[in-house]
Amino acid sequence: MKVREMQGRLVIPGELITTRRMKLGPHVFVENGKIYSDTVGLVKIERGSVRVVPLQGKYMPKAGDVVIGIVVAEEYSYYAIDINSFYYSFVPKEEIKIPLKKGTIVSAKIVKVDEINAATLSDIRVFRGGEILTISPVKVPRVIGKNASMLNILKKGTGCSLMVGMNGRIWAKGGNIELLKKALAKIERESHLSNLTLRVQKMLEEEKKKGGAFGKK
Amino acid sequence: MAKSEEIVYINSEGKRVDGRKVDELRPIKIVPSVLSRAEGSAYIEWGQNKALVGVFGPREALPQHIQDPTKALVNYVYRMATFSVPDRKSPKPGRREIEISKVSGEALERAIFVERFPNTTIDIYVYLFDSNAGTRCAALTAASVALADAGIPMRDLVSACAVGRAAGTIILDPCKAEEDASDAVDMPLAIMPRTKEVVLLQMDGLIGKEEWKKAFELGIKGCLQVYEIQKKALKRKYEEIAEEEEKTIKQIDKELKKVEKK
Repeated sequence: MKVREMQGRLVIPGELITTRRMKLGPHVFVENGKIYSDTVGLVKIERGSVRVVPLQGKYMPKAGDVVIGIVVAEEYSYYAIDINSFYYSFVPKEEIKIPLKKGTIVSAKIVKVDEINAATLSDIRVFRGGEILTISPVKVPRVIGKNASMLNILKKGTGCSLMVGMNGRIWAKGGNIELLKKALAKIERESHLSNLTLRVQKMLEEEKKKGGAFGKK
Repeated sequence: MAKSEEIVYINSEGKRVDGRKVDELRPIKIVPSVLSRAEGSAYIEWGQNKALVGVFGPREALPQHIQDPTKALVNYVYRMATFSVPDRKSPKPGRREIEISKVSGEALERAIFVERFPNTTIDIYVYLFDSNAGTRCAALTAASVALADAGIPMRDLVSACAVGRAAGTIILDPCKAEEDASDAVDMPLAIMPRTKEVVLLQMDGLIGKEEWKKAFELGIKGCLQVYEIQKKALKRKYEEIAEEEEKTIKQIDKELKKVEKK
């Protein structure tokens, strides 16, 4: 099969992608010179490199990611923060000027990930008010879109101020949060189909017409 | 006492007790993503066998002393419901269930990229609600679909199927009546279909070398049939959504073309 035919195809673990030599992206592996997928996802081929965009999966912390965490415990010298990954991250109290409480929602930047996937956080900031929505972490790139196109549409369509964490948590404040939930559910369900941004835009416009006074609220 | 009627395992037309051919599987139905709280799940109906699988993790292994810093642990739990067999089964896990849990977990561990998730466990819970021979194969087949549904990286799916012998004939996927034949042989077999690497092979009964080879080959063929069903089940979930949304996608494509023309 030609490589181009594989573009955008749905594959399952162990399915052959190509026999050609190519650069390897995430979620592919090589065995006997052939490239296979290691997860359920869509094949993406660009500039000689091949990767699979997964449709399900857990959040793997990566240095440089901005995540949304919840403070789960306060000890004598540190806070434990749940970032929806394998372990809690510990932040020394001397790094933070404002005192945090159990249950506080914060945004943080991952500075380092060690060999057992434990993350070190920095740049802790506290959110005031708002709501936390969750989405599968592998679908976060679709919520943001190319050049944040999807994010802008969501902001405009719902009137919420949004902050998307790479770990699948979304902070939203103000605006029509019910509509935002609907849009996120649509993104989660149809993330493997093309022209998602346009379809979400259409849905938001239709809901606004239908909602009338409710949409303005 | 009345003499019990002798069962005809293979009739003159080459059909078996339940009307199947010698190399025919029972009807299999697999549905992925049936549980909302589990990270991955699957429901399987394999003939009369019914099982539900939930996958959790990879998550931190606790207590800490069971952690392995080189790989993830695979915790496979195979349990039968008290009402899954004619006489009530004790809910306490017996020797059989513990053994099946161990061998099936090891079979799946071969397929999963365990070395990518140090210090974690992957928990797989399998519950059987109805059983009629070949449950460990049904459970393993469903478990590998549930693992793929959870997005856990794997080298390949694991497909399982049993082969056996009844009344001197090698048969695929024996049912309970055939398993109770006087010369019965029962051989559950699980492979990774791409490489045909055997990950589970057990056997009950006595069998000759030539016959065993024949049975093994038939078993591999059966596993490959099961693989096709697994593959379809995993892809169907996304194709269904695509079909539902086909209309709006086409409409948007039309509109896009219009804009381009202008």
